[in-house]
Amino acid sequence: MRLVISLAWRNLWRQRRRSLVTAGAVALVVLFSVAYFGMGGAMENSIYQRLTESGGHVQVRTPGWRDASSLEDTLIEDAAEVRATVERLASDRLTAPEVVGVLDVPALLSGDVRSRAVPVHGQDWPAAVRERRLGGGDLEGRFLENPGQIVLGASLASALDVGLGDDVYVYAPGGRGFGAAAYELVGIVDLFDPSVEIATAWTSLEDAQALAAPDAVQRFEVHATTLVRIEDDTVADELAGALDDSLPELEAMTWLEVEPSMSILLDSLDPMMYVVSVMFFVLAGLLVLNTVYLSVMERIREFGVIHSLGAGDRRVLGMIATESVLLCLTGAVVGTAGGLGFVAAYRDGLVIPGMEAYYASFGLDPVLYLSIEPVQVAFAILFAVFTALAAALWPAWLASRLEPVEAMRFQA
Amino acid sequence: MALYSVRDLRKTYRVGDVQTHALRGVDLDVERGEFTAIAGPSGSGKSTLLHLMGALDHPDGGEVVLAGDRIDRLGRREAARLRLAHLGFVFQAYNLIPVLSAVENAAFVLELRGVGRREREDRARKALADLGMTGFEDRMPNQLSGGQQQRVAVARALAADPDIILADEPTANLDSTTGHQLIELMRELNEERGVTFVFSTHDQRLLDHVRRIVRLEDGRVADGDAPAAA
Repeated sequence: MRLVISLAWRNLWRQRRRSLVTAGAVALVVLFSVAYFGMGGAMENSIYQRLTESGGHVQVRTPGWRDASSLEDTLIEDAAEVRATVERLASDRLTAPEVVGVLDVPALLSGDVRSRAVPVHGQDWPAAVRERRLGGGDLEGRFLENPGQIVLGASLASALDVGLGDDVYVYAPGGRGFGAAAYELVGIVDLFDPSVEIATAWTSLEDAQALAAPDAVQRFEVHATTLVRIEDDTVADELAGALDDSLPELEAMTWLEVEPSMSILLDSLDPMMYVVSVMFFVLAGLLVLNTVYLSVMERIREFGVIHSLGAGDRRVLGMIATESVLLCLTGAVVGTAGGLGFVAAYRDGLVIPGMEAYYASFGLDPVLYLSIEPVQVAFAILFAVFTALAAALWPAWLASRLEPVEAMRFQA
Repeated sequence: MALYSVRDLRKTYRVGDVQTHALRGVDLDVERGEFTAIAGPSGSGKSTLLHLMGALDHPDGGEVVLAGDRIDRLGRREAARLRLAHLGFVFQAYNLIPVLSAVENAAFVLELRGVGRREREDRARKALADLGMTGFEDRMPNQLSGGQQQRVAVARALAADPDIILADEPTANLDSTTGHQLIELMRELNEERGVTFVFSTHDQRLLDHVRRIVRLEDGRVADGDAPAAA
C-alpha cells in the first residue's frame, strides 16, 4: 500500500503546474467553505446575542402565556419568592447571572396632544443587562434612576410630540393597580429600527407594578452576560429543566423556545451554507475530473503495462482514486489551515467596512464573532475527499477497463 | 506434462475491411526450465504468440494450456490473477514505471501480490543483484541506460519468482553488445536457477547461445520446432 501511495503521490507531480492549479482550486474551495461556515457562525452568534440581549437566555413565565387574553392570566404572583428560586438555580449553573423581573402593561400613552397604545415595559435591569439591551443605540438624556420616570423610543416620543422633561400620561385600566400615572420623560432612545422604537416605553418594574399588578411580574429573565457565542451556551437547556422541576406551576424556556421563528431560521442556516459549499465543490470537482482524466490519457501505456503485470481492474481503479484523493487532500489541508486561520484571526471580532450601518439597522452588533463547529470542518475535508472520488470515478473506470495489449500500443 | 502446450493457435487482426492473419495455427510445447527463443522477421507473429501465451489477448482459435489449465478463454479478472501469480513479462520498450526507482520497479509485482514491504524489498534487491544492478537500486529509470533499464525489467519479472518469464523482443532497443549481455544474463538465470524463459527476437546474432529456437514465418512455425545447436 505504501508503494501505491508513493506512486500516486509522485505521479501527481509529473505535471506539477496542472496539479498545483487543481490542488489550489480545491484549497480555495475548502478555504472558502471554512471561512463561509465561520461567517455563518458569526451570523448565528449575532442572532443569539440579539435574542438573549432582549429576552435573556432563559425565561420563566406562566403556562399558556402566548394565548393569554388578559394581563391577569400572564402574571406570576409571589414574585419575590419565585425570583429567589430563579436566582439560586441560575447561580448554581452560570457565572454572574443577572435575573430581571419584567412586567409589560398594555397601556395608552399620551403627551399633551397626542396618544398611542403601547405596552409599558416595566423592568429592573441591572447595569450590565441595560448596556446589552441598549446595544449601540443612542440614549438622549439619561436612563431611569427614580420612580416616576419613563424612557421612550425616539419614534414614539416623536409620535407623542414629547421631549425630555415633559410629562407622559399612562392609562392602563382594568388591572389591580392605580390604572393611571404621569411619568417624567428622562430619556429618548434611538434603537435604529423605528418599528421597535415606536413600541418602546420603559419604566421601572416598581412603577409598572404600581400601575397594573402590585408584587407581580410577567416573567423573569435570566441573563448570562458572559455568553456571547451560541456554541458556548451549553447551560440554557439544563437551567430551564431545573427551573421547570423547581417551579412546576410555571414554565421555563430557553431563548430559542421563546422565539420559535428564530429557531427555524437558525435551523435553516446550516443547510443553506452546506448547499452553497456543495455547489463550489461541484465546480472544483470538474477541474479535478479534467486533471485526473488528462493524467490517465497521458499514461495509457503505463496502465497497459500495469495491467500486463497482473494488476486487476479494481487495483487500477484504486490507484487512480488514490491519486485524486491525495490531490484533493493536499488542497483540503492547505484550505482548511487557511480557513481556520481566517476564523481564528477574526474570532474575537470582525467589522466589515461599510456594513456597520446595515447590521445596526437590524439591531445587530456590527462586530461579527466568527466561529465554526468541528463538524463543519470535517464536512469540508470529507467533501473534498468525496469530490476526489467522484471526479476520479470515470477516468479510473476507463483505465481499469483497458485491454493490456491495446493500451501498450497506444500512441497519444 | 509440458509447462505450456499451444495447439493450433490462430489470431487475426481486423482493421476495417483489412484482415491480418498474425497466427495461422501454431503448435508449441514448452517444458519447465527451458530457454526458448521464438525467432522470425517482423510481422511473423512472435509478439502475438507471446501475448496469447501471456493471457494478454484472446485467440480466434486453438488453445493455450499452462500447467494443465486452459488459459486462452479466461475473463479479465482470471487472466490478471494468472499473470500476477504465474507469469513474468519483459517488454521491448522496458516499460518501467518512470516515477519509481529501480528497486521499487523491481518490487512492483510483489506489491501487487500484497507481499510485505521488508520481504518485497529484499527480493527486489536480490533480483537486481542477480542482474548485476547492485549500486543502481535507488536510481530512477531516466538515470539508467537502456541496458540497465531492461535489466531492471527482467529483475521485476524475476523477483516475483514466476513459473515462466515471457520476453517480447527484450533486446530490440539495445545495441548488440548490451543485447548479448542481457541474453547471457537470462541464460545464466535459466541454467543456474532454472528460470524458464521464452523470448522473441528477430536478431539472428542472439540465437547462437540459445538451446531451442522456434522459428515463425507468416504466422506458422517454420521447419518444425527444432533445438538449436547450442
